[in-house]
Amino acid sequence: MLFGRAKKNPIILPTQDVVEWRYTTCGYCSTGCSIEVGLNKKGEAVTGRGVGGAEVNQGKLCIKGIFEHELFQSEGRGTVPLMREKIHQPYQETFWDKALDKTASEIQRIQKKYGRDSFAIVSTGQLLTEEFYTLGKLTRGVIGTNNYDGNTTLCMASAVSGYKRSFGSDGPPGCYEDFEHTDCLIAFGSNLPEQHPIIYWRMREAREKRQFPLIVVDPRVTMLAQFADMHLTITPGTDVVLLNSLAYVILEEGLEDRAYIEAHTSGFADFYETVKHYDPVSASRICGIDEDTIRNVARLYAKANAAMSIWTMGINQSTHGSDGVVGINSLNLITGNIGKPGGTSLSITGQCNAMGTREWSSCSGLPGYRALENAEHRDEIAKFWGIDPEFFPKKRGLAQTDIFPAIETGQIKGLWLVATNPMTSMPNTARIRKTFERLEFLVVQDAYRDVETTEYANVFLPAGLWAEKTGVMTNTERRVNLVRNVIDPPADAKADLWIFNQMAKRFKQAEKIKFPEKAADVFEEMKSLSKGRFLDMSGMDYDKIEAARGIQWPMPEGDESGHARVYSDGKYNHPDGKAKLIPLNFIDNNETPDEDYPFWLNSGRVVEHFHTRTRTGKIGNQNKYSPTPYMEMNPDAAKELGIEHMTYARLTSRRGDATVLVQCTHRVPHNMVFIPFHFHECVNRVSLGLLDPYSRQPAFKQCAVHIEVITEQDAAAIVNNAARTF
Amino acid sequence: MFEVRQDEPDYAFIPDASTPKKNKYGKRISLTDDHAELAGQSLNVNGDASIGDNPNRYKQHGFHFTADNCIACHACEAACSEKNQLPAHISFRSVGYLEGGSYPAYKRMNISMACNHCDDPVCLKGCPTRAYTKFAEYGAVLQDPDICFGCGYCTWVCPYNAPQLDPVEGQVSKCNMCVDRLEVGLKPACAAACLGGALDFGIIEAIPENREQAATHIPGFPDTSITNPNIRFQQNKTLPKEMTRPDTAPIRYQQDEQGGGEYKVKPGLRKHKAMQWSLSKLRSREDPLVLFTLISQTVLGAFLILLLGPLFGLEILTQSASPVLVGVTLVCLFLLQCFALFISTMHLGKPHRFYRAFNNLRYSPVSREVASLSVFFGLFAAYIIFINGWIPGLHAGFSSGMGVTFGLFAMIAGLIFIYAMQNIYRIKARPYWDHWQVLTSFYGSVISLGAIAVGLFFAPALFVIGEPVLPLLSILSALIVIGLSIEAMGLYAHAKELNQQGGEGAAAHQVQSSQFGKTYYARNIVFLIAIQMMALLAVVEFSAAINLLLWLLTVVFILAAATVGRALFYVLVIPTTMPGAFFWKNEGFQEHARDSGLAEMQQVGVLAKTDYHHEHLERAKKEIIADWQAIKEQGFLVSLKLFKSEVQQRWQDARGSR
Repeated sequence: MLFGRAKKNPIILPTQDVVEWRYTTCGYCSTGCSIEVGLNKKGEAVTGRGVGGAEVNQGKLCIKGIFEHELFQSEGRGTVPLMREKIHQPYQETFWDKALDKTASEIQRIQKKYGRDSFAIVSTGQLLTEEFYTLGKLTRGVIGTNNYDGNTTLCMASAVSGYKRSFGSDGPPGCYEDFEHTDCLIAFGSNLPEQHPIIYWRMREAREKRQFPLIVVDPRVTMLAQFADMHLTITPGTDVVLLNSLAYVILEEGLEDRAYIEAHTSGFADFYETVKHYDPVSASRICGIDEDTIRNVARLYAKANAAMSIWTMGINQSTHGSDGVVGINSLNLITGNIGKPGGTSLSITGQCNAMGTREWSSCSGLPGYRALENAEHRDEIAKFWGIDPEFFPKKRGLAQTDIFPAIETGQIKGLWLVATNPMTSMPNTARIRKTFERLEFLVVQDAYRDVETTEYANVFLPAGLWAEKTGVMTNTERRVNLVRNVIDPPADAKADLWIFNQMAKRFKQAEKIKFPEKAADVFEEMKSLSKGRFLDMSGMDYDKIEAARGIQWPMPEGDESGHARVYSDGKYNHPDGKAKLIPLNFIDNNETPDEDYPFWLNSGRVVEHFHTRTRTGKIGNQNKYSPTPYMEMNPDAAKELGIEHMTYARLTSRRGDATVLVQCTHRVPHNMVFIPFHFHECVNRVSLGLLDPYSRQPAFKQCAVHIEVITEQDAAAIVNNAARTF
Repeated sequence: MFEVRQDEPDYAFIPDASTPKKNKYGKRISLTDDHAELAGQSLNVNGDASIGDNPNRYKQHGFHFTADNCIACHACEAACSEKNQLPAHISFRSVGYLEGGSYPAYKRMNISMACNHCDDPVCLKGCPTRAYTKFAEYGAVLQDPDICFGCGYCTWVCPYNAPQLDPVEGQVSKCNMCVDRLEVGLKPACAAACLGGALDFGIIEAIPENREQAATHIPGFPDTSITNPNIRFQQNKTLPKEMTRPDTAPIRYQQDEQGGGEYKVKPGLRKHKAMQWSLSKLRSREDPLVLFTLISQTVLGAFLILLLGPLFGLEILTQSASPVLVGVTLVCLFLLQCFALFISTMHLGKPHRFYRAFNNLRYSPVSREVASLSVFFGLFAAYIIFINGWIPGLHAGFSSGMGVTFGLFAMIAGLIFIYAMQNIYRIKARPYWDHWQVLTSFYGSVISLGAIAVGLFFAPALFVIGEPVLPLLSILSALIVIGLSIEAMGLYAHAKELNQQGGEGAAAHQVQSSQFGKTYYARNIVFLIAIQMMALLAVVEFSAAINLLLWLLTVVFILAAATVGRALFYVLVIPTTMPGAFFWKNEGFQEHARDSGLAEMQQVGVLAKTDYHHEHLERAKKEIIADWQAIKEQGFLVSLKLFKSEVQQRWQDARGSR
């Protein structure tokens, strides 16, 4: 009324009339942000906010967290179990008993007919840890198939494998607080602003206080690369060469931490022998980073008081993913940068509970970082569950990416998918479709009825999502945090824990085993199994976790708090207590651009979406920022091909073709295109996904494509729209 | 009061800061003295009568944006949309970007922009309904969507695209500075949510911690002299000399070497489109205004010719010479004007609230246009009645005298009306419009279209009844030549100046000569040929039939060209708004989403249709019925009294209060 009406109008601002705030933890990425969901009088979840006092996010949330409460009301949710005999028939609504009976009997039929391992189970990084543990118990202890894995093979397997090879165990050694102590940070194939905005915020806040050098290794000019002090535009798939060369310079110039190497590592001689072949000049010809830059980075890193490396999919999703992780670990080992404030080798994990599945799901072994290959471990778990240890296989079975080819060739006949969507997430969609057609029985357990994979399912089990359930999750920095039940699953949908327990009841073998109904009781089981182990969490309980806004393991019974770092004492989990320095030879086995397919195809994430958009694609205020797939293409390359900004182009590869909207930008080099991986029937129609020999993780980010102009733009739009109906 | 949490993080609070007395534009930062009349009042947020304890309550606040840091993570936009419960197709805050350089020396600069709560709020001045208020509290410019009747004029005048017209609701809403949060010392939701260390908020000119600059301008930001916006920037990283936008706006930004390194708006280079017709793209939300302006100009022109024609020898146009023809013509013109009024009213989001158009006579060009139109309309009606002697019992001479008097006043009102009408388009935030060409176009049309209307009514009729047609046609043709020439002169100067000026105007002209190139040049050629044709018909007499036929044929072309020209005027304008992103706030994508059917999915954030008239009318019906019920319930007398006091209030408002 400074200027305007003589009479003030009352101001009306929207309010939510929250009567209760419930504590929970975000269910998207692995940052592990604490969220409070606000409930109104009617008990509806109407709003959400970051928990102010939470160490991880200190009140902040990214776009996904801000709208996460809207998921409870989102479209496409599964509300009732569905069944059909054949996949060409329409689904019929059914009762839980029928759906579960059918599934259990099909599992038993297939196992009886083709053998125990002919039924496979593929889960996720999205469930709560108690659910993972229960699924693991059901799979390893009851159903007894050895072909059991999670979709974490698509994102984190290389980090797990690399950690195990270097340190003797999985488990990221560092934490976010390390940003506040580091004197040099290298981000390998990690785009924090887009993938982990809250971790970016922590990093940036720390960097605003102390301007430590930030070095980004990425073939694309991401926002992080743009803000970096040095941007290393690496040739895709050659990280190992760069890492070897960095080690070369450090060792050649005597910048290594000799005392640390001698006290805490083994295998130095072999390591050095291999590294010797990677002088910066030779390396520069392969990885595309010039000699001076390699030397400069090596010196900067080695001379820093504390230096840390972070990485994400740029390293993991490669044919040398596991090697890349080992290389980063070795870089930190030879410079004495593990387990100290600001000195670490920190895998920035993908899914909210990728860590939980790694720790407790028994996918790659037995609960609590135990191995099937270890007789002692088998005995411990068999005794705890009350079954015969001989029931366990003595070696891990197939990884997720080997399960699908085994279906293709007929060794596996039945599949249970839990909260994962391979129709969109796996490379080479055409091959995956063919694979699904070979199944005798597919059961899909998911929160969303419209998840693309239901196209091939016989049974659909509607599950609860995120805070419709109770349990814990572990984040990137080993922080166990609590998801409190905020609201119940819609209609007839059920918590995954309930579904696993009900399924167990349908197997004779389960009669010997206890399947607690309550998540808290499952947590107690995990606590006792964790006692004395690397990931000891026997000192935690739900209330303590909530009060502390998450606790970092290890926290043995009697301790008042968790530990920010592990390996601080230089003791590693290999039998000799030392970390291994592993020599890495580089073999160029990627499909590289050639005359027929002249472009690198790179893929990655956008901040507003998560995974295959099953959730984020439903929320208008997120989805609108990229409602349809697009391809970043260098304008010069586009011009040569006659392709215009904001028109559709056709991509072809040796696998198939895709239609995508072109965004011309100099973010990518002349011979590379970038497409977000979130979208159904797009990038994965052409991607190759060669597998890493150790982790079996696909190299999503390296393959070759051909691009051509589309004259029939209207027809292209129809093709594109048809794939967006899910 | 807004809830402040016990564990509310420090960054969420607005820091106290000492600032200079005056801001960069020389305005006082303190908006009122603590004991002044404006101080110590509640903002009445949602009926809460308490008064916030923010110690800087009466200081102008504003956003501080460190463009060097923004990562385009959408957290600010999301926090805003969440707090304000906005549907996907609306957002008070948007992040767009500029990019430049070549790989790997590529730079992208993101810009997060909402309302700048300007010192000189052009939205407030432009709004005919007075839905806007600038408060002494925080200097917040707030808009009341309930008062708004959905004309969208504020969205035209704002250089930053801050007011958001919701086509579904038929009303505007915008950033409210989160005044509820400010009252308890918290930053607005967007600034508290920022993850990149880019968006901050505080007393204007207070530089946030760890920042060193409070510049008024960054590349991509419109000229601050238009509104004196309350936003300050830090942007110190070197940017490429040329920056482009990811959206389809045909604009790029080029560093001006001479001009102190500032970035100037230039027409884009991305699309070298060949000349096209693009006829289907001529349609827009402003279609009713195409007709409204053309018809109003026609009616006024025809009326003036009827009124003044006899003075120039056109006796045939007098009521006494052709009583029936003049009567019919005037009634038809009147009905035509009614129709124009009707469609322009129906073009509002809330047509039943049309009367609010008079609320802001002091500032709003829209209010003035509507007011002058109303006066003209009334006087014109009176003219028609009296000149035709339709009041029984009134002496014919007296009636005709009255008619002429009303006519003269109507003439003055009408000429003012057209001036007010052109004034609506003289908007700094729309450089393509802001040119005297609007004046020549509108007055030129008054003459040419008026002459055409008179010709269409009189010439065929005269021809049929065997009266001489040629003298009339000759004069009308001459008038058309004059009208068209005036308009053509304006158009020529406009095109020339746009090219020289650069900026959004030149970009619009580039679109005009490429995407609409064939249409544009066809219109120009028609104009030129029509001028010559009419000049010929003004001086050469073949025969009544041939002249009339040629005249009618030419008129068809002129009318088509005039309609196309006016449609071009509306669709070509490129506002000085901020850059969009590749999908969000990209008109090219919105159009594609609608055309391809992608927009059918509500979560795409693009409305599938552009026309929600049906919904608006349904609501109007409901509200009118509800109003009627309320009036009945409280009694007509009480309602009348309330109405009176309301009118008095409006009058007081109109006289202004600062």
